[in-house]
Amino acid sequence: MSTDTDESGLDPDSIRGIFGLDFRTADTLYQLLLSLSAAFFFVLIMFPIYWMLQSSLKTRTGREAVSWLPTGETFTVEYYTDLVGSSVGTFIFNSVVVTLGTIVLVVIVSLIAGYGLARLEFGHKENFARFLLFGYMFSPIVLGLPLYLIWRNLGLLGTRVGLIVALTAISMPFSVWLMWKYIQTIPEAMEESAWVAGASRWRGFRDVVIPQTQPAIIASALFAFALAWNDYTFASILLPEQQQMTFAPGLLQLINTGYGAPWGQVMAVSMLTTIPPLLFAYFLQSYLLKGFQIRSL
Amino acid sequence: MASEVKTGDQRGFSLSQLPLTERHVGFLSILPVILLYLVISIIPVGYAVYTSLHEVSLAAQTWPFVGLDNYVEVFQIDRFWDSLIRGVVFMVGSTILQLIVGLWMAMTLNRINRAQRLITAVVFTSYLIPTIVVTLLATFMLSPSFGVIQDIGANWLGLWSANDAPLGQRSLAMPLLILIGTWKFSVFITIFTLAQLRSIPSRFYEAARVCGANKWEMFRDVTLPRIQGVILVAVLLRSIFMFNKFDLIWTLTQGGPGSATTTLPVLAYIEGFQNFNLGLANALAVVMFVFLAIGGIAYFKAFNPSSEVET
Repeated sequence: MSTDTDESGLDPDSIRGIFGLDFRTADTLYQLLLSLSAAFFFVLIMFPIYWMLQSSLKTRTGREAVSWLPTGETFTVEYYTDLVGSSVGTFIFNSVVVTLGTIVLVVIVSLIAGYGLARLEFGHKENFARFLLFGYMFSPIVLGLPLYLIWRNLGLLGTRVGLIVALTAISMPFSVWLMWKYIQTIPEAMEESAWVAGASRWRGFRDVVIPQTQPAIIASALFAFALAWNDYTFASILLPEQQQMTFAPGLLQLINTGYGAPWGQVMAVSMLTTIPPLLFAYFLQSYLLKGFQIRSL
Repeated sequence: MASEVKTGDQRGFSLSQLPLTERHVGFLSILPVILLYLVISIIPVGYAVYTSLHEVSLAAQTWPFVGLDNYVEVFQIDRFWDSLIRGVVFMVGSTILQLIVGLWMAMTLNRINRAQRLITAVVFTSYLIPTIVVTLLATFMLSPSFGVIQDIGANWLGLWSANDAPLGQRSLAMPLLILIGTWKFSVFITIFTLAQLRSIPSRFYEAARVCGANKWEMFRDVTLPRIQGVILVAVLLRSIFMFNKFDLIWTLTQGGPGSATTTLPVLAYIEGFQNFNLGLANALAVVMFVFLAIGGIAYFKAFNPSSEVET
C-alpha cells in the first residue's frame, strides 16, 4: 500500500500465513471459516424461532408428530385470532404497560441525574458511581423476598406501578451511567452560548442538551425494554393476581395448569412477544452497541 | 424537580431566583436515583438482615427474635452445601461456554462482509428475546412426544431413548440448562466485545499487514491487547449474573428432577415462597449477598469506576 515502507530487510520465507500456508490460501480458508461461522450462528438462533412460528400455525394434530412445515390440512391461524379478549391478551397488555412505564421512568430519571452528574459541581460523585455499580451485586431473588414484604406494607403489592418502580430501579445503574458519560461528550460551550442569549439552566438543558442525547436515550430505552420485557422474577413475586399478571408468569401458569398444555396458544404468544425484539435488533442494533461502547456497564 | 420545571416553563426560571446553590441542584438531580435505590436495594437488604434474625410468619403479628439460629440452620442443612456446589458448577460451566461462544460470535460479526446487518440482528435478538419464551420453547422442543430436538437426540444422535424427557433426567438436566443459558446469554459477551472491536482503528491492521503479519499475529498483537480488559469485565459480570440466575432455572426445571438443578437462588425461593420459612429464606439471601459482595470487591479491583468517568 505505502510505497515508502522498506520490506527488503524481511526474509520472504518468514512471512507466511496461518499454519505456514501462503497468504492466498490462508485468506481463502479464513473467509470460508468466517462464512461457515456466520451460517452456523444464523441457523443456531433462527431455528428455534422458525420452529416457534411454524408450530404456532399448526393444529393440535399437526403438532403431534415432528414435521417441518404445516400442511394444508393442519394449517391454522386460530391461535392468533383467539388471543383477542382472552386472559392471555390481558397478560400481553399488562406487559406492554409495565414495559412502557419502565422505559419512560428510566429515561426521565437518568436524563436528570446524568445531567446533574456531568454538569453540576457537587461532592461524592465517585462514591455515587460506586454506589450505582453496587446495584449489580443484588440478585433479583435476594431483593424479591424482602421486597414482597415491603411492597405488601406499602400497598404496592399487586399493582403495576409497584413493578414499574422495581424494574426502573434495577435498570438505573446502566442508564444513569450511560447518560452521565454521554452528556460529558457534548461540548459545554453550546449550552454557555444559550445562557449568554438569556436562556436559563433549565432551558439550556431542555433545548440544547436533550435533543443531542437522542442516541443515549434510545440506547437506555432499549436496555430498559430488554429488562422489563424479559422480567419473570419480579413480576411473579410482585404481581400475584391474575388481573395484573404479565405474560412471563402468565405463560408459565398456562403451561402448568390442567392437562394437555395448550402449546398452540403458547407458541402464538411467544411469537408475538418475539417480534418486537426482532425488529429492535434489526433497526436499533447500532444503539445497542453504542450503549456498551461507552462502557456504562 | 418536577415543580421547578413547571414554573420554569412559564417565565424563564433561573437558579438565582431560588436560594439554591449549584451543589443543592446537583444533589436534587440525583435524588430520584438515590431514593429508588434506597427503596429497591438498601432497604430490602436491611430488611433481609432483620428478618433473618427473627422467626417470621406471615400470619403472626410479632416476630420473636431468634438471633443467629437461622444462619446456624443454613450452614447445617445439606441442601445449602449441595446447592452451593451446584450453583458453582452452573456458574463456571455457563461462563466458560458463554465466553467461547460469545467471543466467536463477536469475531464473526466483526469481519463478515455480506448480510452483516441481518446476521447481527439475528444474533442480537437472543439478547432481547424474553427468557420465558426461551424456556417454553426449550421445553417444547425437548418434550418426548413431539419435540424436534428430543427426536434428533434420540433417533440421530442416540443421546437418549425415544420416550425420555431429557430435562427430567438427573444427568442431563444441568448440562442442558447450561446449553440453553448459553443460547440466550452468550450474546452479552458478544455485544460487549463487538463494541470494543469496532473501536479499533483499521489503520492498526493496515500497519500490521504492511509489516507482514498474518491473521493470527494480527489477532494476538493488535486485537487481543485491546479487548482483554473488556473480556475480564464481561466474565466477572457473567459469573455474578449466572450465580444469581433464577428465572431460567425455575421456569425450566423448578430445581428438579429431585434437586439436580437446585442452586442457591432456587433454594431461597423454595424456602420462602413454598415452605413459607421466611426467616431461613432471608438468611440464605443474606449469605448469597455476602458471596456477591466478595464478587463485587473483585469487580471493583478489576474495573475501577472512578477511572471510567471524568468526575
